[in-house]
Amino acid sequence: MISKKLAIDVLNTALATGGDYAEIYLEEDVSESVGLENGKVERVSRNLSYGCGIRILQGTNSVYGYTSDLTRKSLITLADQLGHRFSTKRIITVKDVKNERVKIINKMHDHLTDVPIDEKIKYIKGVDEITRGVDERIVRCGVAFVDNYKKIEIWNAEGDTAHHYKSSEERGRLAISAIAKDGDNIQSAFSGPGRCASWEWFTNVLDWRKEARHVGEIAIQMLSAKECPQGKFTVVITNGWGGVVFHEACGHSLEASATSKHLSVFSDSLGKQIASPIVSAYDDGTIPNEWGSNNIDSEGHKTQKNQLIKNGVCTNFMIDKLNGRRLGLPANGTSRRQNFKYEPTSRMSNTYIEKGKDDPADIIKDTKLGIYVANFGGGSVEPTTGNFNFSASEAYIIRDGKICEMVKGCTLIGSGKEVLMNIDRVGNDVALGQGNCGAASGLIPVNVGQPTIRIQNLTVGGRGGKLE
Amino acid sequence: MNIKKFFEKAAAAGITSCQLRVSSSTSTSISLFHHEIDSYSIENDQSLVATGVYQGKVGICNTQKIDNSSFDFLIQGIINNASKSEKTDSVDIFPGSPKYKKKSFFAKELAETPITEKIDLIKEIENGLFAYSDEISDVQGVSYSESSSTGALYNSYGLKLKAKDNYFFISAGVVAKRGDEVKTAGDYEFGTDIKAIDKKAFVNGICERAIKQFGGVQCPAGKYPTLLDRDVFGSLLSYFLAANSADEVQRKSSFLTGLEGKRVASNKVTIDEKPLLKGPLYTYYDAEGVARSNKRVVNHGILLTHFYNRETAKKAGRETTANGSYGAGKIGIGTTNIIVKPSKLPLESLIKDIKEGVYITEVAGLGTGMNVNSGDFSCQAQGYMIRDGKIAEPLDLITLAGNVLKMLRNVKGFDDRFRLQIGVSCSDALIKEMSIGGKN
Repeated sequence: MISKKLAIDVLNTALATGGDYAEIYLEEDVSESVGLENGKVERVSRNLSYGCGIRILQGTNSVYGYTSDLTRKSLITLADQLGHRFSTKRIITVKDVKNERVKIINKMHDHLTDVPIDEKIKYIKGVDEITRGVDERIVRCGVAFVDNYKKIEIWNAEGDTAHHYKSSEERGRLAISAIAKDGDNIQSAFSGPGRCASWEWFTNVLDWRKEARHVGEIAIQMLSAKECPQGKFTVVITNGWGGVVFHEACGHSLEASATSKHLSVFSDSLGKQIASPIVSAYDDGTIPNEWGSNNIDSEGHKTQKNQLIKNGVCTNFMIDKLNGRRLGLPANGTSRRQNFKYEPTSRMSNTYIEKGKDDPADIIKDTKLGIYVANFGGGSVEPTTGNFNFSASEAYIIRDGKICEMVKGCTLIGSGKEVLMNIDRVGNDVALGQGNCGAASGLIPVNVGQPTIRIQNLTVGGRGGKLE
Repeated sequence: MNIKKFFEKAAAAGITSCQLRVSSSTSTSISLFHHEIDSYSIENDQSLVATGVYQGKVGICNTQKIDNSSFDFLIQGIINNASKSEKTDSVDIFPGSPKYKKKSFFAKELAETPITEKIDLIKEIENGLFAYSDEISDVQGVSYSESSSTGALYNSYGLKLKAKDNYFFISAGVVAKRGDEVKTAGDYEFGTDIKAIDKKAFVNGICERAIKQFGGVQCPAGKYPTLLDRDVFGSLLSYFLAANSADEVQRKSSFLTGLEGKRVASNKVTIDEKPLLKGPLYTYYDAEGVARSNKRVVNHGILLTHFYNRETAKKAGRETTANGSYGAGKIGIGTTNIIVKPSKLPLESLIKDIKEGVYITEVAGLGTGMNVNSGDFSCQAQGYMIRDGKIAEPLDLITLAGNVLKMLRNVKGFDDRFRLQIGVSCSDALIKEMSIGGKN
């Protein structure tokens, strides 16, 4: 997107005042979205996000700026303005550039942005027909296919030879939502399978008919769901998207952006028991074609499979360059950002609890009274206190080892430190689920994952009174 | 940028009428951590959003790449979008309102104040936070950001509207520790005059909130008279405002369907929208170029109007309320400066008759814990018990559950702690009864 000469000039301008690392991040992101509302095409949009972020580090201080104007004058001016935040003598002069080889993790047969719009419309109309066909009480059905193709270039320097990386990210996501209405009772359901994959995966591998039907069925079932009870219960959480519990309760608190500043409940936890011994967990950005995978991270590092917890003991954090300096630990391929407007920092990719030994059916069978959460809307955490919350979008009461009536309005809350210790069963059915995670460096695609797990003594909030 | 050339090119491509919005902004953000500038950023944003009518249908496209290729990208985007649209109720480009209340509240003094003064200000705040008490174990960060934006809206009928604004935003958060207990609290200030900030009150407010949470317990689950802090009430009210979008109502997915002109809240509740409120958030035209004015939305509990853009107004056979807002590739519906009328009662008087109740000071997880269609919600919360008319012991890790409409109908009153905020401005609200989840 810019010439080698301009890249060197920008880096040297940025490093003129004593910076010990400078980085140029360039991005051109074409996104396309086609959306239906009750079977009619209401939106077809193609947007272009385009720009450059420049970062300079000096020790553990950073300055960052961005612009969508990629002319020489604009980039040199920005680098100069940023450089003025430091006032020491130059220690690095970039003289040459080494082009780095980037291993392609997400192999694509074609570009989703090249698939004709008419084909995408036909596909989502097929989805819509199934979802709305479930029941006439579905008053509103939205189906969209969203994809983007992001070209990335990174130039960074910590010495007289800069490194140059070229990569791309490409993702597609099918979003299905249904709203069911019966008198004043309005309920909804959603599913959003996504992947770094070609069109063929969405049309022939993904069981979109099942997804479409399931969304419609859950919206209808929610109409007759009772209010969720409130209190402390044994909670069994489904595999796949159920992993959002681990993502919020633990994942964010293991990001170096929190641990390096001692602003996480797990700041001093390396080598310590932070979870039940039956829990092991990973963050793995290298799983081919998965929603949270990338060829390289936002600093040019190869993505890695990082074990975060081994048999309950904290073994690693997710570490970016800046926070790695604070911790005295190397970056491990986990620096991410939504786009050029965000300074990168440590973030999750595909984060999951490893499979255990239990048959998921036995976990349910062995639970006398509790809550079974089959799907979540999402959640959030305050990493400093570790307090988290999740909202279940599909939950049931477990009675005498059987999944019984559906409940609505179910929120789970707790402290990350306690909940990890209170996991007493881990199933053998690990799976991943797709979501978008919002934090300091923007909204990024992540997979959460886990096998079926059981947690003791979790606080559940609802409007349904006591569980009896 | 040659706007005339864009309209000529669009017309030549068969786009019969067209609107172009040009926006650019520059922001500077500084964060302190442990007395040092932890991060410093300079942000330059620019974007073009074009809307046009092609073969009788509306298309819309945007780009951040502004060069010789931008016009062609936008024109092709409009054509592609309009060609595939199956909407039958789109509206044409709006030619312009007869009159606009054009004003600018651009704060020249703020823009000209040296950055060093702004850094000194947040350093002073950070020092104050550290010095407040030994129990303030850390300051999570203090940051200052200042944004200056210019926007312009042009159309092929010759309309030309311009706006320019700037404001600062300061946020700070602390960590308080007592034994093994860790609590956090934060706050923010925004405006155009940094000298008007009451630094001591800002610092004390944050630290007091953190320290007062020590010893927090779960209360027994049940239904309690509930005082909602103004920020909590404002967050919950934002879902009422979203449900009041005429688009949601017309699609029958809003809990306010059929309630225009009817009672939606207790008679204590009066809500205005004031886009022409003097200050940094003054907006005199909407995304479609329609002149904006202040209006009453809820009068003593009666919902006077939904929020309309031109498309939903046409469907309803009425005038737009100038709530057109651009987002997610379409002209949707949005609001600016929502004001909930406060009372003159101090907080102490509002709660004096409560024998046993709950005061909710913070919630988390509303984004996913809210059913936006039904208004039912359940989320994480913290606060205090109210005993014999007084704020008593702190509560932690409890849940708050309810329904937005039911909550509004159960408003018993507001106090006088009104605060002007971005989005919804209100004071604390007392609700007759809400569900609290805690221990069994």
